[in-house]
Amino acid sequence: MEEQLSLIDLVLHASFTVQLVMGLLLLASMLSWYMIVQRSIYFRNAHDEMYEFEERFWSGIDLSRLYREGTESISEGHAILGMESIFRAGFKEFSRLAQQADMDSEALVEGSRRAMRVAMMREEERLERHLAFLASVGSTSPYIGLFGTVWGIMHSFRGLANATQATLATVAPGISEALVATAMGLFAAIPAVLAYNRLAARVEVFSNRYDTFVDEFSGILYRQAYALRARAKKAGAASGG
Amino acid sequence: MTASAGSIYAKPMAPRIVLRPALASVLLHALILAAVTVNWSDSSREVIRVKPAPRIINARLVDASEFQPKPKPVAKPAPKPKAAPKPAPKPAPKPAPKPKPQPKPAPKPAPKPAPAAKPKPAAPAPKPAPKPAPEQPRLSQEELAALTRADLARAVAEEGEELAAATAQEMSASYAALIQQTVINYWSRPPSARNGMETELSIQLIPTGEVVSVSIVKSSGNSAFDSSAVNAVQKAGSFPELQNLPSGEFERTFRRFRLLFRPEDLRY
Repeated sequence: MEEQLSLIDLVLHASFTVQLVMGLLLLASMLSWYMIVQRSIYFRNAHDEMYEFEERFWSGIDLSRLYREGTESISEGHAILGMESIFRAGFKEFSRLAQQADMDSEALVEGSRRAMRVAMMREEERLERHLAFLASVGSTSPYIGLFGTVWGIMHSFRGLANATQATLATVAPGISEALVATAMGLFAAIPAVLAYNRLAARVEVFSNRYDTFVDEFSGILYRQAYALRARAKKAGAASGG
Repeated sequence: MTASAGSIYAKPMAPRIVLRPALASVLLHALILAAVTVNWSDSSREVIRVKPAPRIINARLVDASEFQPKPKPVAKPAPKPKAAPKPAPKPAPKPAPKPKPQPKPAPKPAPKPAPAAKPKPAAPAPKPAPKPAPEQPRLSQEELAALTRADLARAVAEEGEELAAATAQEMSASYAALIQQTVINYWSRPPSARNGMETELSIQLIPTGEVVSVSIVKSSGNSAFDSSAVNAVQKAGSFPELQNLPSGEFERTFRRFRLLFRPEDLRY
């Protein structure tokens, strides 16, 4: 029955260019969904880990012990990500600088702050991975689909030019199959745009949290650095006097 | 900084999240594809229901092809008129007689059945038709009108394929029937038309099937009736199907032929 124009038939009978466009869009859609799911799992994990770490950090635990625990878990094969890796970078730098006696407290904190900045950048980079792909799928796939449609309609009208009797039935299948390309473009683009906006907002939230943590941790390091230097001065004064 | 495992510069050992998203993505697309395909075929089923017309046309098509064998008996009388130009018109209308028998069975129970219903009785009718028909050609307009021009054209085309071996006479008879149906479709009789009125037209065609001239050979006495017949032919304008006819046969039968208009199916 010629009325049985199934979607599959439409796709299979489309011209090569339209089929190419459709394949591209299908690929884009599948990849973008892969990334959407992958990112949301990653973000959920990062969120959980962040809360867990913050809880431990503010529980009054000794920071060097926290650092050692992290080192142990790394040696067990766990990956340390997010806030904890920022903490580790800052703490490691701090303890290393603190061993140099001629460092004053300002330079100490500044150094560890810098290390934390670097770690934070890396974390943000990790969070934002794949988001650019979602953004480009969201913005370009409607155009790709539109290209397929325009091409398909051009094709079917060119076929019409040779027909002596121009009926709707001669162009309708071509236009229908061409419109499938636009539908697919939109189908790929809409979730990608929505996901991009949502994920970008979450990245923003994460980086704000990290920023806050860096400031808070620097405050703690400041206190420690002053205490350290004061003790060193006292000790120096005592030994000198 | 020592490149210990804890270094921020170490390659991220992030838990590779691959399997779940990949599965989710593939599954989602498969689901959507299935859903779309199912919906699509559902809607196309509805469309089929909405289009009963093509099927009816197909059914008529079968009827029409059953008509075509009839012309064979009709064609036999036809050759005689061909020899003399005047008798020629009769053969053309003769295909009409076949429909006549159809009205006869039909009108008795219901004088004016719906045109769509008529074609069905037509199928059995044709067999008896040739016997009474040859002597009294009648135009049962409504029944013939029910057979659309396109169907006939297709039927004729099919016939052309099937009956490649058929004689040219048979072909011309079926083309005569085609012309008759076409003209009848365009014929709107004036209210003053009565049974027994007869208008004979002489029609001249060119090989492309276009009507070149129409003239009244025998008037019915009612000018409105006469002009309605002329209008019907002029509206029909052309019979492009005749292009399929071999030119020799066209010259003999259709270059100039006569058409008889007779409202036999009226009740008054």
